[in-house]
Amino acid sequence: MTAAAPAMRPGGPRRWVRKNLFSSRANSVLTIVTTLLMLALTYNVARFVLVGADWESVDVNRRLLFLATYPGDQQWRLWPPLWLFAAVAGLGYGLWSRASRREIASLLAVTAFLLLLIVEGNTALLTVVTMALTVGGYVVGSRARETQFDVLARRAAIGGGVAVLPLALVLLNVGEGVRTTAWGGVMLNIMLAGFGIGAGFPFGVMLALGRTSSLRVVRIASTSYIEFVRAGPLVLWLVMARFVLPDFLPAVGGLDEVDLVVRAMIVMAGFSAAYIAEVVRGGLQTIPDGQHEAADAMGLNALQTTWYIVLPQALRAVIPALVSRFVSLWKDTSLVFVLGFVDLLGAARAIPAQPEFVGKQAEALLFAALLFWTISFTMSRLSARIERHLGVGVR
Amino acid sequence: MSAEPAQRSRLWRSGRSRSLTLQAGFSLLLLLLLAYIVDRGSNLELDIGFLDQQAGFAISHSWLTDFDSNDGRVAAYLIAVSNTVRIVFVGIVLATIIGVIAGVARLSDNWLVSRLATLYVEIVRNTPLLVQIVFWYTAIFLKLPRIGDNRNVFELVFVSNRGLAIPWPEPRTDAFVFWVAAVVLALVPAYLVRRARDRRELETGETTRPNLYGVATFLGVVAAAFVMLGLPVEIDTPALVDDRFTQAYVGGLSITPEFAALLIALVAYTGSFIAEVVRGSIQALPPGQSEAGMALGLTGYQRTSLVILPQALRSMIPGLTNEYLNLTKNSSLAAAIAYSDLFQISSIIINKAGHAVVMFIIVILTYQAMSLTISAGMNLLNRRVQLARSR
Repeated sequence: MTAAAPAMRPGGPRRWVRKNLFSSRANSVLTIVTTLLMLALTYNVARFVLVGADWESVDVNRRLLFLATYPGDQQWRLWPPLWLFAAVAGLGYGLWSRASRREIASLLAVTAFLLLLIVEGNTALLTVVTMALTVGGYVVGSRARETQFDVLARRAAIGGGVAVLPLALVLLNVGEGVRTTAWGGVMLNIMLAGFGIGAGFPFGVMLALGRTSSLRVVRIASTSYIEFVRAGPLVLWLVMARFVLPDFLPAVGGLDEVDLVVRAMIVMAGFSAAYIAEVVRGGLQTIPDGQHEAADAMGLNALQTTWYIVLPQALRAVIPALVSRFVSLWKDTSLVFVLGFVDLLGAARAIPAQPEFVGKQAEALLFAALLFWTISFTMSRLSARIERHLGVGVR
Repeated sequence: MSAEPAQRSRLWRSGRSRSLTLQAGFSLLLLLLLAYIVDRGSNLELDIGFLDQQAGFAISHSWLTDFDSNDGRVAAYLIAVSNTVRIVFVGIVLATIIGVIAGVARLSDNWLVSRLATLYVEIVRNTPLLVQIVFWYTAIFLKLPRIGDNRNVFELVFVSNRGLAIPWPEPRTDAFVFWVAAVVLALVPAYLVRRARDRRELETGETTRPNLYGVATFLGVVAAAFVMLGLPVEIDTPALVDDRFTQAYVGGLSITPEFAALLIALVAYTGSFIAEVVRGSIQALPPGQSEAGMALGLTGYQRTSLVILPQALRSMIPGLTNEYLNLTKNSSLAAAIAYSDLFQISSIIINKAGHAVVMFIIVILTYQAMSLTISAGMNLLNRRVQLARSR
């Protein structure tokens, strides 16, 4: 945000108002018009939220929105990855952030809000555990900072973060397992985004390296892949996963019969990789030639140069752009409607079809929008913070 | 490289041959992959004869020509393309206007205005476009009163859950050609007057207001044309036909709820991204530019329109191009609310006739053609702007 909360200058609020709202005739007109607009907006929104809306349609359907067709007695498979994520997020925040009290409070409020939404009587205790893990992680992280455990804690945070998705996939498949066709609601969005980032990011980095490679064949192949994927909209590629992909997947290990959800995940990863590659390429271009030359002089080979010298600097330079790619990917998970999945948006669209909630389109959609927004907004806030801390473009 | 004797094979030590070896290996892998794909694809039918057959479905939105299910699939596809082009074109124009306003407003001195712009950008940008499209469609436009209720504003603007109808200028067949000629001709004296005054300002230093005089000349000639020819267009006002057989708007411009919802959502969403591009470009300018404008006694509006925006435009163009391309691709979300765009009609054709691979290639090429057109146009603009700098 450009203008932070108005700082009260000496001279008091009256002077502030004159300077910021009524500095000239045009400005005064603008202020009055904007005030009226805002009042009308606030009034209508407040009236709808407090009086007009029937939030029961959302309250009753929380299960549908979060899990859709996911079987209720299999929920135990989802908690451990959530706990791991909560602990790692707290730990990482404690380790890396120099956050003010206010920021921590607002972040906690967001987490609490999201968690309270999934409380359903018997899950209250599990939710409390999740909350406690976040706070505990934060305390451990901020204590461990700049002590002998610093490196250990950092490794634990990174390792834990990487392990969340595999843990979820393993837990979803052990024993009887839950078939992917039963995945739904927010959980489906999270799995799609997680896989899209987890698999798309390494692939994207490889594509970016390929596109800037000195080997012409590799360069041409990477460039054609990136440009070809970027030529079409994501919905097109998703539909392609339905109609065309089965024809081309090899019949190894039942790969040619993988179900639609897995195919959608593959497409998400391949699609986001092309966009991530372009972001990373921008980072690679910021590395001055001197870095390569210095690495050569040190006797590092090409692989070592890339891994130890080029990538750490290049990725660091583009963290904000990468996060905004991740935000896009998170928002794009709603596009699986073309495959008939019941994701968060699909569930929200299904609610008005229930006989007792006919005509309640706005409530469920606003709720879905709020959930999508909260996560996107938190991510973009974090990236803006990282940007400020790193001083992007400055090594 | 080091002077150490070559222990490893010479093939690997020399940079050139190493690169050749690596490339050969990679090419082999690629060829294998390609061979696999071709082998898998060989049992797919790749002819396009199915496009000549009857469509077998109706299209709910067509604005250039009529279409019925007996027409060919090529015709259906072309209508779909025209629908996409229509939404993309209108969308780009409106999103640019909204985006520039919001971007400038975010940096406004007026605290309230900048707050409001920030609110808009941060809410709209972080919510999935699809959610917004569905919201506008199902929670706003389909909730409007029924068409029979005859809700209207002064019998000019009609609103219902079947869409909007607004007055729209129709060119007068008898006079329109002359009008076009008159407007084109009016540009010549306007240009000459403007240039003459511009020169005098440069030579003598007095304030000659070249733009004002140019526009005045133009308007003078147009006014003369109006005296001779009358209005160039007739305003066609809509009316509600409500009898036992039909309920519909006739005349004016009818906008379907699908088009309206898609357009509003696309414009709001893309506009919020354009606002960020505009803000970034303005903030990248050295603050001395704005300060110099202030020192010259320019008003806030003059500073923005004469000093800041023209310079910010240069660094804005790549970002703008990107957003326009995103808008083009995002228009495919029309399928969620059954607006007959390129993607939706193609999906229907695939459902009816199969031939998914061929259809996909055609659709990708169409999107790519649109993207290339936009990029080419923006590159042209870019070159003009950059030339102006080096002058």
